[in-house]
Amino acid sequence: MSIKGKVRNAAIVVTALFLIAVLNSKLDAGQSDKPTRSTWEGAYTKEQSKRGETLYAQHCSSCHGPDLAGNDEAAPLTGAAFLANWDGLTVADLAERVRVSMPPNNLGKLSRQQIVDILSYVLSFNNYPAGKTELDPKAELLKQIRIEATKPKSD
Amino acid sequence: MSQRLFRSMAVMLFIAGLVWAPLNAVGQTANSTGTAPRATKRAAPAISAVNGTWSPSTKNGDWPHYTGDLTGARYSPLDQINAENFNKLEVAWRFKTDNLGTRPEYKLEGTPLVVDGILYATAGTRRSVVALKADTGELIWVHTEFEGKRAINAPRQLSGRGLSYWSDGKGNARIVYVTTAYRLICLDAKTGTRIPTFGKDGVVDLKVGVVHGSGQQIDLEKGDAGLHSTPTVVKDVVIVGMAMKEGMTVTTHDNAKGQVRAFDVRTGKQLWAFNTIPRPGEFGNETWENNSWATNGNTGVWTQISVDEELGLVYLPVESPTSDFYGGHRPGNNLFGESLVCVDLRTGQRKWHFQIVHHPIWDYDLSSAPLLADINVDGKTIKAVALPTKEAFLYVFDRVTGKPVWPMEERPVPKGDVPGEWYAPTQPFPSKPPAYARQAVTVDDLIDFTPEMREQAVKALSVYKMGPMFNPPVLSKVGGPLAALTIGTTNGGTNWPGAGYDPETHTAYLPASNSSVAPIGLIEPPQGFSDIKLVSGRAGQPFRVSEGPGYGSAADYPQEPRRRPAPAAAPANTASAAPAAPAPAGALSVQGLSILKPPYGLLSAINLDKGELVWQVPHGDTPDVVRNHAALKGMNIPKTGQNGAVGLVVTKTLVIMGDPQVTTQPDRGRGAMLRAYDKKTGNQVGAVYLPAPQSGSPMTYRVNGKQYIVVAVSGGSYSGEYIAFALPSTE
Repeated sequence: MSIKGKVRNAAIVVTALFLIAVLNSKLDAGQSDKPTRSTWEGAYTKEQSKRGETLYAQHCSSCHGPDLAGNDEAAPLTGAAFLANWDGLTVADLAERVRVSMPPNNLGKLSRQQIVDILSYVLSFNNYPAGKTELDPKAELLKQIRIEATKPKSD
Repeated sequence: MSQRLFRSMAVMLFIAGLVWAPLNAVGQTANSTGTAPRATKRAAPAISAVNGTWSPSTKNGDWPHYTGDLTGARYSPLDQINAENFNKLEVAWRFKTDNLGTRPEYKLEGTPLVVDGILYATAGTRRSVVALKADTGELIWVHTEFEGKRAINAPRQLSGRGLSYWSDGKGNARIVYVTTAYRLICLDAKTGTRIPTFGKDGVVDLKVGVVHGSGQQIDLEKGDAGLHSTPTVVKDVVIVGMAMKEGMTVTTHDNAKGQVRAFDVRTGKQLWAFNTIPRPGEFGNETWENNSWATNGNTGVWTQISVDEELGLVYLPVESPTSDFYGGHRPGNNLFGESLVCVDLRTGQRKWHFQIVHHPIWDYDLSSAPLLADINVDGKTIKAVALPTKEAFLYVFDRVTGKPVWPMEERPVPKGDVPGEWYAPTQPFPSKPPAYARQAVTVDDLIDFTPEMREQAVKALSVYKMGPMFNPPVLSKVGGPLAALTIGTTNGGTNWPGAGYDPETHTAYLPASNSSVAPIGLIEPPQGFSDIKLVSGRAGQPFRVSEGPGYGSAADYPQEPRRRPAPAAAPANTASAAPAAPAPAGALSVQGLSILKPPYGLLSAINLDKGELVWQVPHGDTPDVVRNHAALKGMNIPKTGQNGAVGLVVTKTLVIMGDPQVTTQPDRGRGAMLRAYDKKTGNQVGAVYLPAPQSGSPMTYRVNGKQYIVVAVSGGSYSGEYIAFALPSTE
């Protein structure tokens, strides 16, 4: 093989490796990092938000309020300030915030299942639609669901 | 500066303090571990030619007080960072506070100090003190107090606003701060260990001497006293205020009585105490009719105190008496509730006072550090004090005499009809400067992006009693009025971050929340909850206790909860209560938007020679909910600003302040911005990215010839972090 040929072959190999690397990184992103759906696509069930409502009344309402409006010591869980805080993040982020800090006077007493039940109530209160499958407590699945403040245009 | 820096600094990290003892941790004065080697060698500081001592100053690039200096100004003459290069700022270092305590904190409100190249700050859910190298953020020492149940009971939780620095100018330097459990701690600034000769092993128990009733000592563990502002250190004196639990739904009007005390910084010995509720024989006692001085409390000083060191005068901004919205148990004007009080630095004796609100029933707590300003009015030089307020008036007085610089007129205000309440017939209104944010909600203030939105807003507010400033609280009724509609009362206007002042141009810079609508309704408390006849609440809704910011977030929570009523009954069924159109009666939003029209948040400049507004701009990006709102598509909406309590720093040419909320923008994604405004015009001249809202006011300093800006951010998903910005070294 000529020198030219060697250089050409090497170039092809490098290009191919580069393409594989790029594709791989894209695939990885699709699988783990990037949320695949939004809170507008039915992230919880009606049944679940009912359970969440009861839990909310027991564990959250005394500070965040029956209207989820919050007060001096508790952030609102509805409205512009709430949506601005969480827009673009995932339900996993919200669940983690609850897990590490809520309820402050009984930290660690809510199971992951209870947390997502409460979050499904919060989602329903914020007019996000119910769907066919429950919000799953597994963090890797919650990471797939992006909180979007604005409803996407229906085509 | 570099000569004064520690040359080779070994990290000395040790936690000094008390071993956790669940039953009675406080007062177990275990020695700090204090065995770390003294690895630091401090070069002699610059010596003043005048008196042979050295003292830190913003002029030298330090930031030795919470507000920069004792005048409340938040001003530094540094000018390396300016309009031309602000956008080139880079993150110099970050300090995450999660591990200072048992859990992350989402409300980091501190402003650090910098002296001599070392940065000192409070941080974390246990309010630890850290010393960092100011140029790199490297940890030098950390000091933590483990205070057990007493800290859990504290009315002011979390990391607080910061701490204070003292130096004798000869190499001895101390850090003084107040813990969540209301203990004054004095540390060696070099090592972070307690000064054993101060108080009892470095501690003064501030609850000792705090009384309720006619002079009964409060319970040391459960008594309602704390503080999250910084002590004020002036000369060899430490001045400490006092805060109590949120005053809307308290269990007794006979709460702890506010006082301001001064201590000797060397020994911890108390020098004087000023009773904010005057005792019999003291000035103002008769303003508590029917001996009500003896059965009421609060009236603390929970915000920053300013001092004129030269005149030897201290300026105390006092909060409301018990309780915030009902004063039926305390007929009379109730001095020194919501008064600016000037006392003598040496004796604590009252020099003058001005009551900003007579017989307070709106929670118009004086919230901000008074600004000491030497001004020229009509050719006359006046040593003035200007008080920024939640009311959005800047009250300006001669700080020697207490005489208003411009006339303040006592004007009649509406009288309410709450059973048992006592009403002040008039309130003072400054003739100058003009109000710098909303003071009342009128129909004209309501959202008007579309006529339909205005209509919905009017309808939603029909259940409230509207009225001018000083709209008195109402007894809440299901059929209406549900509450009196107010603004700038609980929140709004200028709150605890205060304002800033430029001593060169005599201009005050005032941040203000402009859309904090606060409905004030009163209900009878649930059986057995309180001896107060009426507390804050809404008829027809479950009773809620307002515990105050940070409640339940203490490092050692959960433990025995503080006083709380039996769990409220399950709330009314709110399932599928849609916040969308049309707004239900009583809602304070319309289609997800603020019920008020923009601007939501403001930054104003007021010239104090003239008493006039120089400029006013909206502060903060237009919130996502406005920019992305379907009904507002295609409309040209000018920048709205954001509602929220944020503070600022003033430099040679700039006013710098961060956004109180996050937004998601196409060009930068999700975050907030730290903004720089041209001091003269209010034009934004630069902005750098913050990953979370500004939660503590920025400050600036210089070390090794480089200027830094440090700001506390936190909120939402982002836990507390101090971020330092500086220009790249290539600049």
